[in-house]
Amino acid sequence: MRLKRAKTKRLLLSSDLDVGFSLVALAPFFAAALAPLLFRFTQGYTGWLLAIIPASIFIYLLSFVEAMADKQLISAGFDWIPAYGLRFSFFIDGLSLTFALLISGIGTFIILYSGAYLKGHPHQGRFLAFMMMFMGSMLGLVLADGLITLFVFWELTAITSFLLIGFDHVRQASRRAAIQALVITGGGGLFLLAGLLLLHQMTDLWELSSIFEYGPAIREQAIYPVLLGLILIGAFTKSAQFPFHFWLPNAMEAPTPVSAYLHSATMVKAGVYLLARFSPILGGTVEWSVVLTVVGSVTLLWGATTALRQSDLKQMLAQTTVASLGLLVVLIGIGTEKAILAAVLYLVGHAFYKGAFFMIAGGIDHATGTRDITALGGLWRTMPVTFVAAVVAAAGMAGLPLTVAFFAKEEMYAILTFKGTWGGLFLANLSLVIVMVLGNAMMMAVGLAILFKAFFGEIKPTPLKPHEGSFSLWAGALVLGVFSVWAGTQLGYFSQNILEPAASSIYNFEVESKLYYAFKMLTTTPFIISALTWVLGVFIYLNIDAIRTWLREFARDLGWSFDAGFDWLMFGLIGFSDRITRLWHHGRLELYLVVVFVAFAAALLIPMWGTFALPAMSDVKTMTFYEWAVFVIAMIGLVAVVVAKTRLMAIVSLGIQGFAVAMFFILFGAPDLGFTQFMVETLTVVILALVMTRLHLDQRDSRMPLDLLRDGGLALVSGVGVTLLMITILQTPLDLRLSELFAQTSVPLAHGSNIVNVILVDYRGLDTLGEIAVVMTTGVAILALIRIRGGGPQTGVGAKKPQRGKSRAKKKTAASRQAKTSRRASAAKASA
Amino acid sequence: MDSDLISFASLAPAYPELFLAIGAVVLLMAGVFIKNASARLVGVAIGMLLAVTVLVIIQPATGVLFNGGFIQDDFARYMKALVLAGSAFALVLSVSNAVDNGIAKFEYAVLVVLATLGMMVMVSANDLMVLYIGIELQALSLYILAAMKRESARATEAGLKYFVLGALSSGMLLYGASLIYGFTGQTQLDKIAEVILLSDRSVGVIFGLAFLLAGLAFKVSAVPFHMWTPDVYEGAPTPVTAFFATAPKVAAMALLIRLVMDSFEPLAKDWQQIIIFLSIASMVLAAFAGIGQKNLIRMIAYSAIGHMGFALVGLSAGNLVGIEGVAIYMAIYLTMNIGLFACILSLKSNNGYVRNISDLAGLAQTRPYVAAIIAIMMFSLIGLPPLAGFFAKWHVFLAAIEAQLFVLAVIGVLASAISAFYYLRVVKTMYFDAPEQEFVPIPGELAFVMGITGFLVISYYLTVGRTLVDFANVAAGSLF
Repeated sequence: MRLKRAKTKRLLLSSDLDVGFSLVALAPFFAAALAPLLFRFTQGYTGWLLAIIPASIFIYLLSFVEAMADKQLISAGFDWIPAYGLRFSFFIDGLSLTFALLISGIGTFIILYSGAYLKGHPHQGRFLAFMMMFMGSMLGLVLADGLITLFVFWELTAITSFLLIGFDHVRQASRRAAIQALVITGGGGLFLLAGLLLLHQMTDLWELSSIFEYGPAIREQAIYPVLLGLILIGAFTKSAQFPFHFWLPNAMEAPTPVSAYLHSATMVKAGVYLLARFSPILGGTVEWSVVLTVVGSVTLLWGATTALRQSDLKQMLAQTTVASLGLLVVLIGIGTEKAILAAVLYLVGHAFYKGAFFMIAGGIDHATGTRDITALGGLWRTMPVTFVAAVVAAAGMAGLPLTVAFFAKEEMYAILTFKGTWGGLFLANLSLVIVMVLGNAMMMAVGLAILFKAFFGEIKPTPLKPHEGSFSLWAGALVLGVFSVWAGTQLGYFSQNILEPAASSIYNFEVESKLYYAFKMLTTTPFIISALTWVLGVFIYLNIDAIRTWLREFARDLGWSFDAGFDWLMFGLIGFSDRITRLWHHGRLELYLVVVFVAFAAALLIPMWGTFALPAMSDVKTMTFYEWAVFVIAMIGLVAVVVAKTRLMAIVSLGIQGFAVAMFFILFGAPDLGFTQFMVETLTVVILALVMTRLHLDQRDSRMPLDLLRDGGLALVSGVGVTLLMITILQTPLDLRLSELFAQTSVPLAHGSNIVNVILVDYRGLDTLGEIAVVMTTGVAILALIRIRGGGPQTGVGAKKPQRGKSRAKKKTAASRQAKTSRRASAAKASA
Repeated sequence: MDSDLISFASLAPAYPELFLAIGAVVLLMAGVFIKNASARLVGVAIGMLLAVTVLVIIQPATGVLFNGGFIQDDFARYMKALVLAGSAFALVLSVSNAVDNGIAKFEYAVLVVLATLGMMVMVSANDLMVLYIGIELQALSLYILAAMKRESARATEAGLKYFVLGALSSGMLLYGASLIYGFTGQTQLDKIAEVILLSDRSVGVIFGLAFLLAGLAFKVSAVPFHMWTPDVYEGAPTPVTAFFATAPKVAAMALLIRLVMDSFEPLAKDWQQIIIFLSIASMVLAAFAGIGQKNLIRMIAYSAIGHMGFALVGLSAGNLVGIEGVAIYMAIYLTMNIGLFACILSLKSNNGYVRNISDLAGLAQTRPYVAAIIAIMMFSLIGLPPLAGFFAKWHVFLAAIEAQLFVLAVIGVLASAISAFYYLRVVKTMYFDAPEQEFVPIPGELAFVMGITGFLVISYYLTVGRTLVDFANVAAGSLF
């Protein structure tokens, strides 16, 4: 079992730190709110002013470096919703600090760069506001301690990314890319939320810093794979891992500062951060290692080969970013000391050189008006500073000595010699190393291609005349490039203050890096593999045109991409909605009724199936011949309704069935009810017939055989349902209180010995009066109908147009009849 | 049975209903004998409804009347205030466009008042028979209102569909009621519960319950009894749709709550299953089906179906928090819909009133105020904090979680996320598409309604939120 946390002290802090920490995440938001206003007054200098904020955050964070070097863990925050034990809390350890320093440090230059890049753009204020908001979200994310705090900032990065990608919202491509990014990262966020809530459910804790201690216990739970899956989906969508990788290249529709900042240096690393953060809690299991290494490897190779296919500068960089993210995931998945060190080194190195490269690409685009690598050449003459920055960045991308990335490669290739947790899995390690070598070589080739194709060779005509950009445009790239080399040379300081604390946070053990330069390195296995990578990289670069052509043909032959798959899914969703609408809301009343009756039948039959046993049919045997006869008459009536050729036939046949029911009432001792039923039936038939004279009585209502089958089947099922219900109900003992009351009180109270008569004229006297009134009103209505018979409306609705409502009227009466009959039936039962 | 009505004062709990009933008859007479009085009658009806609203709010008379058939409690008062306010505002919305929509007839005001009376009886029903009378009074008025624009084939079709399906649902309801009576021997809601509690769980009562709920599901337009909603909403004149979408929903929901909480409390396990099914089906279907809509009113119809599903989430919890949640939900839902319809009715161009979502293109430029209110309503309908719609959903989902209905809550949140798709599309159309048509100036009273509802929705948390929660708490408390 692992230790809970090596040499970690939890500091109790003063409230100053609470405020300080919260400000780190919140100050950019305040700045964002002010940015558009500020822009009105300061115009072109807004970028310079706003850059003060990330710069101050960077300096403030530097003050924690020493504490982190002691492997401390500092937490701070406020109570948020005390009722639920929620705190708006932050904590900082080596990992958080590394990320936060990268975010604020690179952020400073990006804000400067944005000011210059969008010079003269009318919505620059809005853009800077979005950028600051994003910065705040990202800082909040890496500093978050509370699970909910983490999630809130996580989704905020997705939303700000959406706003930034869609910044140029007039263009269809931007809007699509923005929506795609939001759907995928936001959707992944929901999985993450589910995972975080599950984690809370398991531990009953809200704070990450306390949950670390439960790592081993969590990994033993049976539900661990589910938790792992949810968190991984969240991380993979954010960090553009296969098969969610396609949104990242599309996100390059955003202005270049966004691509440099969000989609290479910071936001896409959020998924990697999450994996690193949860590594002590979820890591180290077979599931973890296998899923991460496999997914990461596929992403690495996929991204690297796709990068070779591109000729657009930003697309090349975007695809190599996908590949780099895959590499980071592989390293975290391997999870050994060396691998974690490699991951941190690579993370830092990549942020430096890729951020620089994007800014260079933006600078070139700004200066020449094109980003197509085949249309560029000889820029070193006209853009000397940018050229220097590009050389340094390409060195970083290739992992040449003196850069951070060099050590990252050294450490990652060292897994070949490692025989720890993975035991004898030499083959697995070997294949991983091969994957890494291939990936790194291809990425190096892309870096070389950008450097050599764009800056060397002959000058090609470009839309704009190439010129060196302003200070803000190249400063960032140059500084990042220089940092890359600085960190690679100041090994002692860098390892002790950044590398080891961060690696220890992920690894959960004290990690010691032994980085050095020496001649003996030249003979170690990792160095030999590195050298091999360089050779392979140069080889690929030399053949890049042939490879590009070949890959493009291959992609064309494939004819399908994940991007197209996303469209298919989204249009599928809309199509699905349309189909649902058509299925449910065609506007045809007839089919609406079908739905209602299906629900009706289901409500009748399903509970009977599940809860109650089917009733016994014992009474059928005791039926007399005349009961059978009436039953058969009723059946004939029903069949006649269904097969009737004309409407008049159908109406009359419906009457037959009604009369048969009245006969039943008489047979079972309710003559009053029987006579009422006769009267109602007669009236129904007469009214229906009269109404129908206005709707063409002789018309034939032909049904399609399939419709006939559907309607008939439905009627049968509903009928069987009601019958079964009736039989079931009849088997429960009858409540005889009312009948007994009538029997006892009929003579003494009402002075009548015929109970039926007494009920009609005395007990229910008012009811009888009401019924008579109804019958009389109906009679009057019939009279009115007879008088207007044959006329029909001359204008407006229904005038001499073929009516569509033929079956409606029939069903309507069936429905009201059903209601009536049931009322009668219950009344009959009561008075029986 | 002895009468419980000793004096006129003992009728106090039913004063609002009596006032409205007499008022409706007076309006009818006035309409018959005074020529061209429809506009004035609408004004009188609005005044009457508002007066009764005030009466319901300030008059604390509660009690049971008419041999237990009628109950006035805090719950009824809360819901009645919503119903009355909803009806009054729906009438206000029709003032400027009655002639265009073919409802400038004196019967319009009378029918709205009668329907409102029916709804109040529904809210106060304490007996299956009173319940049915209330439902039918309301429904018959609504059928006529739907088909009021007689020269329009769409409106006639809407009226007919509404009537046929409504009659069917009434039939089911009656069938259920008779089964309940047959098996419990009681029609009074609280006495039914007593009988059920004492006897075994009988098949007749279960089926009766199922049929009653099916009938009521139709009234709240819960899936699978929702088919009429989009067609009727679209076909009926828009101010009538505004009325349909607000007050009757509140009344039906109140009735549903009272029925299941009062009469079928002992059968909670059974009705909860049905309500949960209705809730999930409504939320999910509305979320998906709404996406494909091009007609604005149809989209609102699906939105209504979905929101009824969300409200039912609170009811399925079946606890105090849940009922409180539904009460809050209905109030907020009512406000949002009135505001939304005020916006829609204010948008008249030379081609007539807006029908399709695409008609709203570029509204942010031509009518920024209306566009802003619509956008607020859309965001609130999605449930984005800090707008009122968020708190509505918050309360019901909280109740579901408290009742351990996690799956229901998760499905609800997902459905809510999917439904954002179609709400946001309206916002996108208004703000990012190029304007296509000019609109005539907004009538003053509609601008006022928009302003007031918009203000309430935005400032809910700061202004009315706490008061509403208190009221809802008292209201829900009277059922337990």
